[in-house]
Formats: sequence, structure tokens, C-alpha cells
Amino acid sequence: MADLDEAAINNPSSDAGQIEVDLSDETQDFRMLNSLSFLADTNDLSLPKRGEKDFEPNPTLFQADILSASRQAMHSALSYPRLHNPKNKVIGVYAPNGPAPPPDPKLDLISEDAPTERPAPTTSIGVSLTTCVYVANPKGGLFKTIGQADRWNRIWLLPEEALYLLERGSLDIRWPRGAVGDGGEHNIEDSGIPMSLQAAYASFIGHSGLTMEKFSVYTGLRRLGYAVFRAPGWSQSDNDTDGTACSTEPSEEGQLAMRQGPGLAGIFKRFLQWLQDSPSTTAAMGPLIGFGFHRGYNHLFRKLALIPYYDPVTASPSRAELPYTVALHIYKPSTHIRKSALPDPDFRIAVVNARTDTDMPTLSQIGSLLESTPLEPPASNKPLYVRLKNGYRNVILAVVDQGVVSYLRIADAAFGKEKIFDAQAPLRGNKLRGPPRNKFKKR
Amino acid sequence: MNTTPELPVPISYIAGNYFVFSVDAATFLRREHNICGVLTGTLPQVPQQNVFTGLPLELMPEEARLLVEKGVACIVDEVNFQKQGMRSLVEEDRKKYLQELESQGLETMQLQMRRKERQRDASLKKIEEKKAAAKAKKAEAKEDTTADAPTVAEDSVVSLFADSGEPSSHISSRRPSTLGSIEPMGITPPVSHPPLPQQPPAKHLLPLPEVQSSYPLFAHLHSKGYFLCPGLRFGCQYLAYPGDPLRFHSHFLVVSTEWDEQLDLMTVISGGRLGTGVKKGFLIGGANKNVEESDGAGSNVRTFSIEWAGM
Repeated sequence: MADLDEAAINNPSSDAGQIEVDLSDETQDFRMLNSLSFLADTNDLSLPKRGEKDFEPNPTLFQADILSASRQAMHSALSYPRLHNPKNKVIGVYAPNGPAPPPDPKLDLISEDAPTERPAPTTSIGVSLTTCVYVANPKGGLFKTIGQADRWNRIWLLPEEALYLLERGSLDIRWPRGAVGDGGEHNIEDSGIPMSLQAAYASFIGHSGLTMEKFSVYTGLRRLGYAVFRAPGWSQSDNDTDGTACSTEPSEEGQLAMRQGPGLAGIFKRFLQWLQDSPSTTAAMGPLIGFGFHRGYNHLFRKLALIPYYDPVTASPSRAELPYTVALHIYKPSTHIRKSALPDPDFRIAVVNARTDTDMPTLSQIGSLLESTPLEPPASNKPLYVRLKNGYRNVILAVVDQGVVSYLRIADAAFGKEKIFDAQAPLRGNKLRGPPRNKFKKR
Repeated sequence: MNTTPELPVPISYIAGNYFVFSVDAATFLRREHNICGVLTGTLPQVPQQNVFTGLPLELMPEEARLLVEKGVACIVDEVNFQKQGMRSLVEEDRKKYLQELESQGLETMQLQMRRKERQRDASLKKIEEKKAAAKAKKAEAKEDTTADAPTVAEDSVVSLFADSGEPSSHISSRRPSTLGSIEPMGITPPVSHPPLPQQPPAKHLLPLPEVQSSYPLFAHLHSKGYFLCPGLRFGCQYLAYPGDPLRFHSHFLVVSTEWDEQLDLMTVISGGRLGTGVKKGFLIGGANKNVEESDGAGSNVRTFSIEWAGM
């Protein structure tokens, strides 16, 4: 019973019958996991139904037995080992000091001038400086959306990518020789000692701006099948170097929109506007609609629109501040992705820690966050409410409270730009057909 | 399952967060100390879903502090412990550890191969049985027309036994040879003990975790037997469960306030409405800082539960 009530929070409209329940919203009974046959067949995996729960504990043995069975199931699910079959084992090696070329004497010439140049945030080997694990034998489909290749066909992984792969049992990360007291400090050859999950968390969380909140969002979305990449606003220090790239993106769009204004068509449009408005330009004190020719209500309505409204198209880009910056770019599983040339992301996500940022972001914070995203005007053939909901810019806030993530979508709706009277105009022309019907049925 | 880990349980402090990596510790804290935490990791057996998540267990700072105050846990500076611990490993330890892992890997590999063989046996048997059944059916059909059908049926029964006997003998002869040459399975261990010691040296221990002003209320409710989880999904600070969240629904949406804090009436109304709407009580409470805690945690805490009367 209480199940339904909790679900009602998720969709207040609660269209009877088809209430969709997000199972991950609540602690699930791990006994349900046993119905998944995880060792044998992987092709008919289906998620379990939510289990029955009781209202409150009572001292019956029956209840105690169920509880201990649940805990037993949880225990065995949690103790499932991460195994790597030698046939398809992928080995990564941790490089705590960032990417470095392989220790081949022939290639030393190239690597020597690496630290002096450092033009972009990449080294001379062509991968991001913030990567910290390399994989010499990348196999499997996961590397389609993970990692960056260097000149020697090794894939370099960012800390969150490495940790995610290790967690799901797809990657065996080894300590480098330098970190286990076997060889020099900077020796990053494989020492053969596998990194435990515990060691991996200790090494990767906190590395290059990876907070646990960001990692929770990253792995949560990855588990659901999305492809997730770092965005320019990943951390403030990154943002400083990439600041130009971050702010030019939207301003270009804005300029485009502005340029469209004063074009030839724009001038013509303005002229028409002037023609329409000028005959009855009234004084500040005068009546709103003076004498003159009034052809249709549209004209009158336009006159009545006194209150200035916010136009998201002409908004000037300003700099977003942490944590309200776009930290992650998300691609739907269906989007075709090439790592070398990423398309425009399907979603942009800013990650907020609910513990440290307890207040709702201020209007200026939301404003600058939205303005740092490119303009995505709604399709004009969509119904009014869909267009309003879509907005002109949008961003998703991921609020993380100790590993629990909630997603909020914030869109820049432009009510002022939706001229209701304009849209109705075509219907009024034919007077013989009776009174005009409202075109916008509520959906 | 009902094992008690060596106390105090080490809680890893990594970049501002508190984690438990050991399965035994996680279930022990849940069973004996009503501490659930949030499982944030991916389950390797079912990695593409979010309903069931695995280790590590992320603890709220309140939970970590409570455990330390009770003396069942200690906070470990995991980053430095790992770095220095791994660096100071001796050649001998390394070799021993690797050998251990290899033998474990071999064992699991053998286990898996045996399981596979058993599965294959079972499916082979099934196929044979199906064949035999089909034969028997045919034979039955023939019975109507020909007189010497029974002998055919008998034949099929004999062949069934012969067939089912054969594969197992095959395998038993094959097994020793395959097991001799197998490669060990690679293993990613969940915790770093071994090779690092179970209890970290004192220099890597950290003081009590910093907590929010809601801690007295948290400790009070916990001492009353409630299980507390982060309350973000319901817009409150904690969700209070009367028993293990695995089996019970939560009863209260908990919000902590200061003793002399002016509360906005709207907060009370919206909380009360929301709580009633989801069949939970809206609970506010706080500690009276002027009164000393006389006995036990949070004895100076007062709580109020608010329900929307809907008259």
C-alpha cells in the first residue's frame, strides 16, 4: 500500500494503472536478486519485481527468518568476486604521475621534450594529463566510449573510467613497480600486483577533480547505458584553461541569432513593424490604443503587450561558477559516438553536493549556468506546452546526497515569445464556419 | 554470514567521504548497529542496472562518527595508508601475496570448469532423453502396425542407459588432463588486506568526523532503534525506518532544527502535507544546547511529528 504512495511522489498526476516505479528509488530486498541467474545465462536477465515489505517489526520468528534470508542474500550478492578469465583479461596499470611514454630507450628522444612544451592540457603523447591508468591490450566494446589512445596503441583512462571498469569487473588494474617499492619512483611498469577495489577508490577518488559526487553520477549513468564524458566545466581549474572554449560556444550562437536580426530580411521585418506601429504611436500618457486603423485583433494585442519579457535568445553569456557548471556531457546509448570527434551531447549535467550546497541556486547562478549551454530552441511545429517545457536552453542538475542522486531538469522557457494571438490568427479568417475553436487543447 | 569482523572496523576516509569495503564489516554494521549506509558500487554480476548496487558502502559522516563514538570503528586515512603501505612492502610479502592470489585463481577456475562440465553433462543428458523419448514414441506408433514393436522399444531403453553412461565416463577421463594445464583466473580483491595489515598503524588514524548540527537528532533517533538513511528523495534530512530498510518502509521524514530557530510555517505545512501524502510522519526535532546530556546520546533532544489533518 505504502508502495503506491511512495510512487505517487514520482508522478503526481498518477494516471491510474500505469504508475511507473523507479525501483532504484528505494532499498530493494536483495532476495529478489537471487531470481537473476547471474552465472549461467546472460541473455534472459530481467530485473526483479519489487518485494513486499512490512509496516513495522514484530517479534515473530517468521519475520526474523525473512529478514535474515534477505540479509543472507545481500551478503552473498555483495561478496560476488570480480574475476578475470585469462582468455579475455584486460590489464591496466596505474600511473600515479599522469601519462608517460613507454620505457623504450629508442623512444626517449620524443619523450624528453614532453614536459617543456606542454601546449594544451595534453602531453606530447596525445592524451589528457589527467589520465592515470593505461591499458596495453584494450579489448571489448566498452572501450568504444572510454579512454584515449596514445601513439603506442595504449588506451589511457581517466580516474572515473578506470574505477568504473574495475568496479564492474571488466578491468584488472595493477600497481606500477614504482608504487610498490620495486624500482624507481617513476617506474610505471606492471608489477603484477592487482589493485584492490579499496586501493582503487583511495587512488582515484580525489584525483584530478574527481569527487565522489561526480563519480556517483558518472557510474550511475554508465550503469544505465549512457555514454558519459567530462565537460569543460569539470573543475574550476580546468575551466580556467578552457574558459575561452567554454564561453565562446554559447556566444557564437548568440551572435548568430543577433546577426540574423540586422540582415536584409531583418531590416524588412523591422520596416513592416514600424509601419504597423507608427500610425498610432501614442504618448506615454495617452491611451494604449488610440485612433487609427485597426486591422484585426492581432494588432491590438501587440499594442497591449506592455510588459517587457525575457528573451533567452539574446541573453549574454556570462561565466558559470562551480558547482553550477556543466561537468558532464551525456550521450544516449543510441547516439553514434566517435571518441575523436564527439558530437553535441544529448544532455548536460551539473553536479551539486546536497550536503555543502544546501540552498537552491540563486537566479544569477542558474542564469549563468544556462547561458553556458548552447541555444537549443524548441521545434516550432511542436505543441505549445511541449515547446515551453523544452525551453531555449536546458541543463540537468544532479543533486547528490551521500550516494543518493536526484536529477532535476532546468529549462529556459520563454513565455513572452509564444504569441498566443498570432497562432490563432489563421482560424479567424473564415467567418462562415462559426466561432473559432481553441486550437490549444490541454495535453 | 554471521561473522564478526575484527574490531574496531576500519572506515576509509577518502577525499571527504567515508567508506566500508569489507563485506563482513558492512553486514555486521547493519546487523548489530543498525547502520545501513548507501551502497554506491557496481555489482560485477549484474553491472548494467541501478536497482541493486554493491560495495563500497558509503557512510554519512554522522554514521561514521556514531560508530567511532561507540568504539566499534576507527577512521583511516586510506589514501596515505595505501600509498605508504604499498611502498613499504617487502619482496617476500609481495611474492607470498601473489602466490596466494594465484592459488585462489586456480581454485575458482577449477570450480568454474567443473560447473561448466556439470552443465554440459546435464544438457547432454537432456538431449539424449529427448531423443530416446522420440524413439519411444515412434516405436509406439509402429506398435499399431507391426507386431515386433516391443523389441524396438526395449532397444531404445537400453541405448538410453548406454548413452547416458558414456559422456560421464568420457569426462572423468578427460578431467585430470584439462585441470593440469589451466591458467589461474585473475582476481580483483575487494579489500587491501592482505597484503596490507588489517588494522592500520596509529599514524594513519584520523580524529572524529566533522558533522552537521543535525547530529544530536541523528544520534537520538538511532539510539531509539531507528535505521536512518539520507533523505534527499523526500526532501528531508533523513528517512527513519523502524527496522532494516530491506524489509520495512520508512515511517518518518526527519528534519533537524536548532533549538531557538524560527520555523517558517510554510516549511511545517509543506513537510506535513508531503509526509502525510506518502504515508509517513513529518518529524522535526533538535537538541536543547542549554541542557547537559544527562544519560546517553541525545537525551536533550525533543522531537515532534506533524501530520496533515485534512479537515
